Amino acid sequence: MGHAAEGGGPDLSTAFRRTRGGGVAASFHTAEIELLRSLVGQLLELVRDDPDGREESKKDDAWAAALGLADDKPVRPTDPVLLRLFPDGYAEDDEAASDFRRFTERGLRDAKAGTAATVLASLATAEGVDPDEQRRGRSRDKIRVELDAAEADAWLRALTDLRLALGTRLGVTEGDEDVWAALPDDDPRRHIHDVYDWLGWLQETLVRTLMAGLS
Amino acid sequence: MTAPVEIERPEVEETVLPDTPWVTVVWNDPVNLMSYVTYVFQAYFAYPKVKAERLMLDVHEKGKAIVSEGTREEMERDVEAMHSYGLWATLQKAGDLT
Repeated sequence: MGHAAEGGGPDLSTAFRRTRGGGVAASFHTAEIELLRSLVGQLLELVRDDPDGREESKKDDAWAAALGLADDKPVRPTDPVLLRLFPDGYAEDDEAASDFRRFTERGLRDAKAGTAATVLASLATAEGVDPDEQRRGRSRDKIRVELDAAEADAWLRALTDLRLALGTRLGVTEGDEDVWAALPDDDPRRHIHDVYDWLGWLQETLVRTLMAGLS
Repeated sequence: MTAPVEIERPEVEETVLPDTPWVTVVWNDPVNLMSYVTYVFQAYFAYPKVKAERLMLDVHEKGKAIVSEGTREEMERDVEAMHSYGLWATLQKAGDLT
């Protein structure tokens, strides 16, 4: 499994903390809000689009959707990122795995798109709170994001999906932190890995805050 | 046609055995955080923290762990839920795990 890097800093986001109202909250630099919005927006497109699974004939799609079924012939994703987000349900039975995909993938795509949309909505809400005060830069262009239980759950899942997508694309392996740290500063993978690390740190603070309320 | 034959009934097992049990297996991956995997086991299966942590460590150290047992339909629901959390999970018949 992965581990969360040290994060935060004077000008960067603060860790998630429990609020008095029972929710959780963290503060973000406006640039971080922009980054999150961009990443989650792309995640939404990624899980919603299904170019591999499109069938020529779509006349039965409405009924299939109404019955909660995916397309007749769901295609196992060829893209490693999509295959990681929608993995096989059976490891050694291709036919059962194909049936499982047929019955679950559409629902999973909708669920993952829903969590991404929830995150985008909470970012928009946070920015919409007293924009004048935000513009005056009361706290150095920081924006406070406050989440209720359902929103926090959506953030956890969306942060996971983002990290799975970035980690799979980068080819992250266990205990490889030194490899990434040794990359030259101008290597684009270095920046992507920094973002991947930051998302992990953010998720870690959110998990720990939520766990304190579980047991 | 053949005549009905009196079959000698074994008297031991009165209870009806359920369908062959199935299991949900969660596999290790290099991305998911240990804390998050523990959280999912607590939140979804309602396992106590100690059990959730032990299962998480099994996944981390042994590469996989059986996290639930039941009918095939129940295990398909669990696997789908694990996928919705981003965990890498499969189901299989109990006893097939190598």
